[in-house]
Amino acid sequence: MYRGNQIKVGSALLLSACLLSGCWSSKEIEDQAIYTGLALDVGTEDKEKIKQMEQLGSPPMENVLTGTIQIVPQKSFGSRGNASSNQQKPYVNSVQSGNSVFEIMRMYSLIRDRPVIGHHLKVIVLSTDLLKKYAIDQLLDFTLRDNDIRPSCLVFLARGQAAEAMTMNQPADVPSFHIKDMERNRFRNNKIMKGITLTNLNALMNTKQSYILQTIASVKGKDEFYGAGIIKGKTGKWIGNLDSNDVASISWIRGTGQGGLIKTLDERDQIITYEIKSMKSKIIPKVKGDSVSFHVEIKSKGRLIENWDAEQNFSKVPYLKAAEKRFERKLASEIQTILDKMQSRYKVDVSGFGKQLSLSHPQVWKKVKDDWDDVFSRSSVTFTIDLTITDYGSSTG
Amino acid sequence: MFTRTDDKITSTQASIFLTDAVLGAGILTLPRGVTEIVKTPDVWLSILFGGVVIILVVFIMTKLSQQFVGKTVFQYAKRIVGRIPGGILTSLLVIYFIVICGFEVRVLAEVTMYFLLEGTPIWGILMPFIWVSSYLILGGINSIARVFQIIFPISIFILIIAYILSTRIFDINNLRPVLSNGIMPVFSGLKSTILVYTGCEVVMVLVAHMQHPKQAVRAMITGISIPLTLYFITVVMVIGGMSVDAVQRSTWPTIDLLRSFEIAGLFFERFEFPFLVIWMMQLFCNFTSFFYSSSLGISQIFGLPFRSTVFGLMPVLFLAASIPQRINDVFSLGDYIGYASLGMFVLVPVLLSIVLLIRKKGLKQHV
Repeated sequence: MYRGNQIKVGSALLLSACLLSGCWSSKEIEDQAIYTGLALDVGTEDKEKIKQMEQLGSPPMENVLTGTIQIVPQKSFGSRGNASSNQQKPYVNSVQSGNSVFEIMRMYSLIRDRPVIGHHLKVIVLSTDLLKKYAIDQLLDFTLRDNDIRPSCLVFLARGQAAEAMTMNQPADVPSFHIKDMERNRFRNNKIMKGITLTNLNALMNTKQSYILQTIASVKGKDEFYGAGIIKGKTGKWIGNLDSNDVASISWIRGTGQGGLIKTLDERDQIITYEIKSMKSKIIPKVKGDSVSFHVEIKSKGRLIENWDAEQNFSKVPYLKAAEKRFERKLASEIQTILDKMQSRYKVDVSGFGKQLSLSHPQVWKKVKDDWDDVFSRSSVTFTIDLTITDYGSSTG
Repeated sequence: MFTRTDDKITSTQASIFLTDAVLGAGILTLPRGVTEIVKTPDVWLSILFGGVVIILVVFIMTKLSQQFVGKTVFQYAKRIVGRIPGGILTSLLVIYFIVICGFEVRVLAEVTMYFLLEGTPIWGILMPFIWVSSYLILGGINSIARVFQIIFPISIFILIIAYILSTRIFDINNLRPVLSNGIMPVFSGLKSTILVYTGCEVVMVLVAHMQHPKQAVRAMITGISIPLTLYFITVVMVIGGMSVDAVQRSTWPTIDLLRSFEIAGLFFERFEFPFLVIWMMQLFCNFTSFFYSSSLGISQIFGLPFRSTVFGLMPVLFLAASIPQRINDVFSLGDYIGYASLGMFVLVPVLLSIVLLIRKKGLKQHV
């Protein structure tokens, strides 16, 4: 009896020693290189490198695209105590070229001591030049399939080189985190679009309808959200840029803006500014036979936040009403501009008219959805704007 | 203090047992499976209709089992249709249970290897699972039911928390328009929604083990309503959060839903990991209930000792899980199981009920 128990206890201990000793697939985080940003550009011809590689006997290289990954922290140990060293950037950008995104990802293993892992990829930036040549579906296919990269990652376009968006001249900032956090300023300015995640993009690509993605411009070494790039649904390629005001106008049409302003001039050509407190919009599709038309009702409440006109006093209702009219006129002209751009210049619908039609007239939508961009550019769009200035801040002047 | 000699389970335990048997891998694949067929956001309607159908099915099975107090389907089938035909029918049921076992544990292994334990060999995931499960089964239905009682609230809690957090990406417009293509797509989706309720056949084993068989109908209908509700919430949240277009392009839509957002400041930033870990426990329950039913079946049909059948089945289950080569094979196995469940329903409870009715009412025989 006693002997039997001993064997039982012994084997139980032996078994638990095997089972409890740790995770089979564990990898130490110190041994990994975590990348938080990925930028894709048109392949660059690095003559020096090609020459050297050919001397090594490498087959001719075909560099369709260049990938830049941003790795943080560069080293978790090392020159930390060294105060005299000039300030080091907290990240390192690694560049490789190839003709498949996955190939590029695995090329980093050839040049880096630690494997790169994508668990914390936050931002993907694509250059518009690259999107002129290749469809966005092709470029992002790998990131949607990979098991490490989460679909919560945000996708942006870059004016110019995407790799530039991954560098900044502010030493303490990591550009990919910076971009991700800038997106949260949406409540302050409707020139910032709601961040499009890979999941959103997957749905957008599957609908085959056109859409816009926020573009990042690198201005004097700083990343800045400036406007948006249009992706044509049918081809998945980039066809043109919209500027910042267009992005704001689209937020008015969709009623998705959370903050921002309208700036205009009063009758003495002095600046007056309206701060958006709320905006609502209703896109009403009207179907008559084969023709589709839309009416957009925009309503907003806000505050008169800035007045450069010393002779004007806005504490009286008639003046407020006059100011409302001026803001409405300004906004109407902005909206007319984006409508003209969408309908005449690019012939695309990127402001949710199609989605609204599909919700209210699903049968009609089924007929027109395959060439919706064309149908939309021929349909008439009218709109009414109703702004209300509810208050004028803590100054009555 | 809970030691019982009669090895019976209470009505609550029976409800949870049924819930755990039905709620398994379906939650990971259901949204895509149905959306691929329906193609409109009306998927949730299909789930509801499918649920009504399944409640009827469970009702028939329970009523049939209540006719033979304390007997499982493996025992009473012989009494209704005779020794040999009854044996053949219930053997089919056992094979069906074994295939489900293999499927569930394989889906678990696939998901774990892709998202959690990259690099662990498949046998390293399958084998401990089968061992632990067989250890539990040897303790009898009472031990199984008690383990289920512990795991059930935990897994439901995490699931609900995960869904509540995913409301941040929920957009009601993704679920509109309702019935844009009419009611037909909803009915075509019915086929694949019924598939996710596969496993409700354990009802015919469960009722025999109930302490109060008279409460069986209520207990079983409660047991099937819980997965019905959870499946409904799953589909609403996944489609509302990702839209029909994204769901169709995602291999594991429910996991992708949880991967689509990050929560800064909460204890977990990413919710797919707690969800997956907890769901492993749920799949363990699921697997155990079928493992138990199939080994009980074999021992009762062929008169073999229960312990030996449990040990004998272990390698068979491992092989059943290892047969599919590609991920497509796994998914199509899931589809076949669904079709088989329809066949099983017609063959076992319906056929047996009809024969029983004819013999009792028509021929006035005593069965």
